[in-house]
Amino acid sequence: MKHTTVVIIGGGATGIGILRDLSMRGVKAVLLEQGGIASGASSRFHGLLHSGGRYAVKDNEAARECIEENMILRRIGRECVEESEGFFVLSQQDDPAYEKPWVEACAKAGIKTEPVDVKEALRLEPNLDPGIKAVYRVPDSSVDGFRLVWHNAMSARRYGGEMLTHHEVFAIDQEGGKVKGVRARNLVTGEEVCISCDVVVNAAGSWAAKVVELVGLEVGVQPDRGTLVAFNHRFTSRVINRLHMSSDGDIFVPHGSITILGTTSFHADRPDAHEAPTEDVLKLLDIGEVLIPNLRSYRILRAFAGTRPLYVAKGSAAGRAASRGFHISDHSEEGLDGMFSIFGGKFTTYRLMAEKLCDLVCEKLGVHAECRTAVEPLIADPSPAMMEKAAKYFPVHSVPLVANRLGDAFPIVVEKAAAMKSNPLLCECEMVTRAEIEYVASDPSSHSMTDVRLRTRLGMGTCQGTYCSLRTIGALTECRVPFPLSPADNLRDFLQERWKGLRPALWGLQAREMELGRAVYAATLNIDGARDEQKN
Amino acid sequence: MNRKTDIVVVGSGLAGMSAALTAAQSGKKVTLLTHGAGTLAISSGCIDVLGYLNGVRVADPFESMATLPAEHPYSLIGGAETVREAIDWLKSVCRKGGIDMAHAAEEGNHTLITVMGTLKPSYLCPDSFNPDCLKDVHRAAVVTVENMKDVHPGLIIDQLHRYAELSDKEFMEAVLPCPIEHAHRNITPLDIARHVETPEGMKWLEKSLMPYAKLYPVLLLPPICGMKHSQQIWNQLCSALKVKIIEMVSIPPGVAGLRMRDVLKKALNAAGVYMVESAEVVRAEVEEGRCKTVHTLTASGEDAWEADSFIIATGGLLSGGISTAPGKAWESIFQLSLDAPADTEAWSSPDIFGSSFFASMGVKVNHELKPLNGEGNVCLDNVRFAGRVLGGYDFAAEKSGNGVALATGRYAGMLAGKE
Ligand SMILES: Cc1cc2nc3c(=O)[nH]c(=O)nc-3n(C[C@H](O)[C@H](O)[C@H](O)COP(=O)(O)OP(=O)(O)OC[C@H]3O[C@@H](n4cnc5c(N)ncnc54)[C@H](O)[C@@H]3O)c2cc1C
Ligand SMILES: Cc1cc2nc3c(=O)[nH]c(=O)nc-3n(C[C@H](O)[C@H](O)[C@H](O)COP(=O)(O)OP(=O)(O)OC[C@H]3O[C@@H](n4cnc5c(N)ncnc54)[C@H](O)[C@@H]3O)c2cc1C
Repeated sequence: MKHTTVVIIGGGATGIGILRDLSMRGVKAVLLEQGGIASGASSRFHGLLHSGGRYAVKDNEAARECIEENMILRRIGRECVEESEGFFVLSQQDDPAYEKPWVEACAKAGIKTEPVDVKEALRLEPNLDPGIKAVYRVPDSSVDGFRLVWHNAMSARRYGGEMLTHHEVFAIDQEGGKVKGVRARNLVTGEEVCISCDVVVNAAGSWAAKVVELVGLEVGVQPDRGTLVAFNHRFTSRVINRLHMSSDGDIFVPHGSITILGTTSFHADRPDAHEAPTEDVLKLLDIGEVLIPNLRSYRILRAFAGTRPLYVAKGSAAGRAASRGFHISDHSEEGLDGMFSIFGGKFTTYRLMAEKLCDLVCEKLGVHAECRTAVEPLIADPSPAMMEKAAKYFPVHSVPLVANRLGDAFPIVVEKAAAMKSNPLLCECEMVTRAEIEYVASDPSSHSMTDVRLRTRLGMGTCQGTYCSLRTIGALTECRVPFPLSPADNLRDFLQERWKGLRPALWGLQAREMELGRAVYAATLNIDGARDEQKN
Repeated sequence: MNRKTDIVVVGSGLAGMSAALTAAQSGKKVTLLTHGAGTLAISSGCIDVLGYLNGVRVADPFESMATLPAEHPYSLIGGAETVREAIDWLKSVCRKGGIDMAHAAEEGNHTLITVMGTLKPSYLCPDSFNPDCLKDVHRAAVVTVENMKDVHPGLIIDQLHRYAELSDKEFMEAVLPCPIEHAHRNITPLDIARHVETPEGMKWLEKSLMPYAKLYPVLLLPPICGMKHSQQIWNQLCSALKVKIIEMVSIPPGVAGLRMRDVLKKALNAAGVYMVESAEVVRAEVEEGRCKTVHTLTASGEDAWEADSFIIATGGLLSGGISTAPGKAWESIFQLSLDAPADTEAWSSPDIFGSSFFASMGVKVNHELKPLNGEGNVCLDNVRFAGRVLGGYDFAAEKSGNGVALATGRYAGMLAGKE
């Protein structure tokens, strides 16, 4: 049996943030995640690094946390945050009476707002409705959630933190009112692993209530589904919010060459309620049109949904009215020593959440090391010499992008590319080369092409995998990456995953693309028929 | 401007070209209006007739045709007999144009080899794709060209070995040096096929294959054996190297599809069909259930095209014959409703390759390929539909795309030609 000091359940921003924090403080920790890293809410979200403006009026405390963390993350996670800003826009439909209290509340929370002349705003954002009434500039930005979580993971690994992906915790063992360890199943091999430990941290997000059920207790976590729509264009340069009481469908967040519109808020009966219904998509289009009148002319790339881990104190309101603040339960208060749960909050505040939780755990363990996660950058800047070397093996204009995406692994991938005969671009939309794909695929946490997609963004661009997936599986098969699935099955699963995101918005240009996808993979390559005809 | 001919065909995919050529061969004056090149130009150029029925592999496509539902295009046009006739006709058109098309040695489908190393049932293919010779040998080389990102011998071999009938064959990887300038760009089979069309390129291919030809009786290649003279080039390579070469089915751009399209275009020209390219039909004038004119949009304004009858072969979602919006689907020129479920989620199956409204949406027609309204009555008496724009079949899952396009296109051309 394996032994460690702390077991963390959940590999989202919160759990990985905790792994990093504990590892930096010298506490031994192992993290268990049932899917891939950041496969829960931490990648199924809007990617907005909140300035806090959205919460200023309703929850000033949460707003203050946002702006403080926003400034920290721009520093420590520079590679993951776009250097952009946000607008709060008063549309023709919004109540002008909200403007003044909002400006005051922002000031109180420490959020800098600056009025922008409407004409100037329309010059900067020509796709905005010309009828808008007022515009404010705020320090919102876009954050690549997946990358930020991975960079935290790399930093944690550097300090000795361990993580096991595709491991589902199914039991928490206790003895005499104290946790003893956890048992988990490797979902790829079916193997069981037992890890003994002194402390268990439940950072399972929307699944937190389920994890607590394993020890017969209860926590007030309510999964709340939000749908998002990704468009194949960047039609605003900055984050655009509606200047009104937070509501559905009122934020546009640009990421690279795409824009994400969201979101909705519906009670979900399961934490993995990740289906995005057409009804939500249509609702988002209706609301989004108020700010961007030509919204429907853009091609939808996919619709997706995540569940928020909303904290509902017994008897209080759920949904948007519920608190976006976070909560920590020390279950010793209910008679189980050594177990903590942390839930609620936002992606933007993951680091703060981790800090608070680790303070408690360290106190329990008698560790006195200080938290340094706010000052130490997640990854070190690559050296100019390394950047120069990379330019020989990667398309020149993609080098900064690749360096940011890879973080610690950048020098390794550059060396790998240098040793290869050639390093072709396999995914032209997202500039992913063969060396990067081979490296990511051979990471122990990668088990399928879908895992590779998540980390490299392969197949997330315009073609949605129609062109890049065949050549990727070709390259991976050739370099003998040992995936459990056959190439055809891997490819089918990969396409199936993309299909899931397109089904709720299967009309117009995206329907055309899917007819092409089916034609290439079924009519030409017959990978549907191969399912029964190949032996594995 | 208003021009008049006997028949106007819209669309230059396999369906539109088959319809126009057939009608012209029966003595009619035919105009072919087309916006783009159609999917033949990006497809493999093999004629899939019927490979699967409800997900089950069929032994003989013509035998299985009898069991298709009544609304399937093959059933509507008379089944096996009509389809066979169309195939024989296409074979003779191709032969005249310089491409020999091959049936499988035994009754039923070929099992073509793809660049993914998967096998695909198809009825008729150019000689150069015929995989029969692989049955008699134990060893073959799988060849690619350096920097051809979509063709990986390692993948192909891994996949081929997963099929019972090929699991004991010995395959070897072969990579030919790239003969053309590329600089980070993806090299496609089309780039190489065009190069091989030149004397220098032909020499390069023969020379580069030589060492493998000495060791292996069969060479599997991406479709790179030339363009216009592919048949000659392939024959010449096979005899000079004393091997059998099998071209593999590849993804877009479609080399063999372009070869066939070229042959058909020449035949249309010889038959006197007036073909107008880059002409998008944007609307039609309909009076009392008859189409009077279709209108194309050009830089100088709208042109009207008058005819006694019209054949619409505008393809599916991909080519623009069918348009969709949330909860709605319609035929693009006459705005015929395709009875889409109002709930868009009901359009598709959770399985990307499963059967669904999405996979088989298209115009409902009678046995003369004339469109039907909601009550089941003909709503446009002098208009016929052919090819992917038709409903009632899923070309991708069935493997019937070019088969339906050919057979319904020819049938529409024959009926219009007789009027
Ligand atoms: C639609 C939507 C939009 C959002 N937009 C924003 C935004 O723009 N900005 C922002 O700051 N915040 C946003 N949020 C909130 C933010 O996404 C979440 O607060 C945050 O990602 C939660 O992180 P987490 O690590 O707590 O949870 P998660 O990321 O969900 O991680 C929990 C992990 O635990 C794992 N797990 C569960 N049970 C087990 C088990 N038994 N064994 C092993 N592993 C297990 C899960 O697989 C999961 O990966 C949004 C949320 C939603 C739903
Ligand atoms: C990538 C791919 C690979 C395939 N591989 C195979 C294969 O290996 N074997 C097989 O049997 N089938 C295959 N298919 C399917 C097969 O190609 C099609 O089902 C079949 O060719 C359809 O022919 P069509 O003539 O009906 O339509 P299309 O080929 O789509 O042609 C439609 C034509 O109409 C034109 N058009 C559309 N709207 C207008 C307008 N308003 N005005 C003027 N012109 C218009 C278009 O520009 C085009 O020329 C493949 C399809 C694709 C996309």
